Amino acid sequence: MHCEQVESDGDTVIEFSAMASVCKIRLAGVDAATARAWAEQAIAEVRRIEITYSRYRGDSIVSRINAAAGSGKAVALDAETADLLGFADQLWRASDGLFDITSGVLRRAWDFRSQRLPSQAELDVLLPLIGWGEVAWSREAIALPRPGMQLDFGGFGKEYAADRAAGLLQALGARSGIVNLGGDLRVLGPQPDGSPWRIAIAHPREPGGLIASLPVSQGALATSGDYERSMVVDGRRYCHLLHPRRGWPVSHWQAISVLAPACLAAGALTTIAMLKEGGAEAFLREQGVSWLAVDAQGRVSRVDPSQ
Amino acid sequence: MAATELPVEFDRSDATPRAVRGLAGSIVAAALALPGVIATVVPATAMAEQAPEQGVVALKYLNYRESQPGLKRIAVDAPSLYLLAPIGAHWSLEGSAVHDDVSGASPRYYSDVSGASVMHDQRNAGDLKVTRYFERSAIGLAASVSNEHDYRSRALSLDARFSSADNNTSWNTGLGVTNDRIDPVNRKVVNEKRRTTDLLLGLTQAWSAQDLVQANLTLGFGRGYFSDPYKMYDERPRKRNTGALLLRWNHRGENWPGTLRSSYRLYQDSFGVRAHTTEAAWVQPLGSAFTLMPLLRYHTQRAADFYYDPSTTAGTYPGPDVWTSTMSTDQRLSAFGALTWGARLDWKISPRWSADLKFERYEQRSGWRLGGNGSPGIAPFTANWLQVGLSSTF
Repeated sequence: MHCEQVESDGDTVIEFSAMASVCKIRLAGVDAATARAWAEQAIAEVRRIEITYSRYRGDSIVSRINAAAGSGKAVALDAETADLLGFADQLWRASDGLFDITSGVLRRAWDFRSQRLPSQAELDVLLPLIGWGEVAWSREAIALPRPGMQLDFGGFGKEYAADRAAGLLQALGARSGIVNLGGDLRVLGPQPDGSPWRIAIAHPREPGGLIASLPVSQGALATSGDYERSMVVDGRRYCHLLHPRRGWPVSHWQAISVLAPACLAAGALTTIAMLKEGGAEAFLREQGVSWLAVDAQGRVSRVDPSQ
Repeated sequence: MAATELPVEFDRSDATPRAVRGLAGSIVAAALALPGVIATVVPATAMAEQAPEQGVVALKYLNYRESQPGLKRIAVDAPSLYLLAPIGAHWSLEGSAVHDDVSGASPRYYSDVSGASVMHDQRNAGDLKVTRYFERSAIGLAASVSNEHDYRSRALSLDARFSSADNNTSWNTGLGVTNDRIDPVNRKVVNEKRRTTDLLLGLTQAWSAQDLVQANLTLGFGRGYFSDPYKMYDERPRKRNTGALLLRWNHRGENWPGTLRSSYRLYQDSFGVRAHTTEAAWVQPLGSAFTLMPLLRYHTQRAADFYYDPSTTAGTYPGPDVWTSTMSTDQRLSAFGALTWGARLDWKISPRWSADLKFERYEQRSGWRLGGNGSPGIAPFTANWLQVGLSSTF
């Protein structure tokens, strides 16, 4: 289900819900009927990715890989999944193992709606199940070595879908607009008059508030924050960004936004930067991207390497 | 979060001056303004004051949705419960409770937001009223509370009604005090306060067997924080006095079944807003069980003195071109015209049970203002209300 409206400036905005988020496609410079037809195809692509990589569907590739964990049997891979695993592998290497698609297993101990912290014993049981480096895989097949290990594409599925939807829209002819999947954005091109879009960054401590804005003409903007899924226990915030070796949330930054050519890259870089804690600035500098970070005290720093 | 406001203050001058006006309050105010959501029962007919013989319990569910191209989209779901219980021959107790759930909003000035941006707010409100009935008069004392995480309101009011010996004339008067505390999450201000005192004087006269006329004068004296802490460049005076005159005429058909309800309201405040609102509704019985009431309302107003048009100058956008000590771009304070149309269907299911369904659509446009130009640069605004209710007497 989605709803659509034409704005006073002629932009068509289609809102829909996917991947447990509020999503929005804005198309400028085309008539509403064309925009609607294009957006429908883009939404269908988002839904295809959502279904393909869902952990909740028993027949999805992710579920089949997880179900075979520790059995010694390899699960055959299609080209798209192999590409995504290759990307995840690069992220794992570039992040010294911090970005690990086998770390989702920690969710068994962390329930952010419970207001309850897991015990160290609960985490100690799960930590041996984390380790992308031990996974045997090729472009053809994959096998998780230990029972209970699981893959989770949640760390980049939404970003990948934003890129795929944007690519599809551009192939259809879209030159101006924004694809926003739950706060991860990919810009299709500047506004019809050539000026950049004005994109705001959500305030990490004020629900509904904004902390900064960035002009964006092309590329993608993703934000990772400690406020998205989190709980406050005894005055301390515990967020969903879990350190794969410690099993505990990181807390160095409130939020980090990264501007990169693709949403997959922007999303992965913000997640890794959050996990890098004190090493985030050096890491992002190496990557040569523009970024904006809000530290634990709420101070904003902003780096644009082109300036 | 509470950065949402409805564009107009809805006419509640026929209720006792127990205004619960919030920032967030807007939705609140809108919900409260709906008959029956939180009811303060003031009979619209001139008749002797009588203690109710039967109790009433009513459950209502309100769904509100607003939209404005590119600015924000708010949805509210509000279930409410109303209870009226006679106590002995001379007393009655009324109480109501409402729970609002507000979600959805996108920011002004920006095309989009990066980062999880979920707006969600909840409000709990309730009120309690005790009325003592005498032979030709009644005195009521009411208290109400409304809580949101960034806004709190407490109100106390006293009202009295008197009828003439022939029951053709009744007078009503009321005094209310509302204390609000505003503690926005963005800490723009901390623990700000606002106090409003309202005074109501009213006269209802049965003109003929078919005609009833009513005049109500409401005066409000407010001091404190009136700005919207969630809006940029919003600095309003710390004093707001209001005056509203409401004239009603209800005409019941002599030869046809049905009643015309019409009203005109003049509103003026010290912010500089002057508004005219006219309304016509037709009450049409359909058989013995149903009543249909279509409604049309037109509102036109001039802008507050300190309202400024959104600047299109790139250098200052979205701030004002000229900085002044008081300023606001709140569209509720702009010059505009607005139309509301809708209908209400009442169904008397049995002597004890009744149900109602109500739909209203509000549409506001700068160009619809009468007697002057509307404020430029404001996109049309629409809102829909849908309410279902079920009530029972006991």
